[in-house]
Amino acid sequence: MECQDLIKYLSDYIDNRLDEALTHAAQEHLATCSNCHIVLDSTQKTILLYRQRDQQNGLTTRRYQTLYDQLVQAFTKQPEGD
Amino acid sequence: MPCTISLRYVTSAVEKTSNEQVEIAVTDEQALITALKQRDPTALAAVFETYADRIYRLGMNLLHDEQHADCVVQDTFLALIEHIDQFEGRSSLGTWLYRVGYNHCLNQLRKVKPSLELDSLDEPDMMPVNFNPWPAPEEMIFTNEITSELERAIATLSPALRAVFVMRDIEELSTSETAGVLGISESAVKVRLHRARLLLREWLAPYFGEQFEQTGV
Ligand SMILES: [Zn+2]
Repeated sequence: MECQDLIKYLSDYIDNRLDEALTHAAQEHLATCSNCHIVLDSTQKTILLYRQRDQQNGLTTRRYQTLYDQLVQAFTKQPEGD
Repeated sequence: MPCTISLRYVTSAVEKTSNEQVEIAVTDEQALITALKQRDPTALAAVFETYADRIYRLGMNLLHDEQHADCVVQDTFLALIEHIDQFEGRSSLGTWLYRVGYNHCLNQLRKVKPSLELDSLDEPDMMPVNFNPWPAPEEMIFTNEITSELERAIATLSPALRAVFVMRDIEELSTSETAGVLGISESAVKVRLHRARLLLREWLAPYFGEQFEQTGV
């Protein structure tokens, strides 16, 4: 396997979607090619960083409650009542 | 007014502490949908608890604006309330909510840029050019600087690539779920995810490469 192929298969490799033969070929290439090894490592870190960043993101408790209160009102409103 | 008591109950159920109960409720989707159709507020609480933050993050990642992201959450759940009686369960509730949320985001983006191009499949394949090593994960402590680098990087992606990256890698939807939400093929999801990952990595590489040199780890 050459660098170009490794990059082509990189996402499938990360997601464990390559068959055994390709996985083996990719691992062999990664063991000897520091550039591809760095690309793999930094791509995995990229994914990890975004996942961690979003775990800290969400509606604030106040917005959460306000939005929910508005929705529950619309939800429980009797259609024939108004 | 039969809902005063149940409303109080729901308000406490919706506080973010009672995860366990709510998750059990959401896994039995058919029962949940039936309860929603019967206007059972605990069912709404369960769905909101599970999906509100996720839809909010989708909105934030696509629109980069808290107020607009709030609106996406509100509009998505109002659409659920409005259409629940017609909900046939052809897709899962989660997929349905993501799809509605995503479409609200697109409408918002089109307000700013009417000619919004969603098909990015003719973009040429890219090869990485930056091969500087990155710091170990434990060295990458979240600072405002890192957060803003991540923001700037993801903002450079087209909405088509961003949506796939957010759903697959951040929200961890499956390839087929993502395809269902976006109305594209699974192979298109894979191609876009691959591009999005490489583009983000390349954009961030100079920053983290320099950090590695500074820390020397
Ligand atoms: Zn290589």
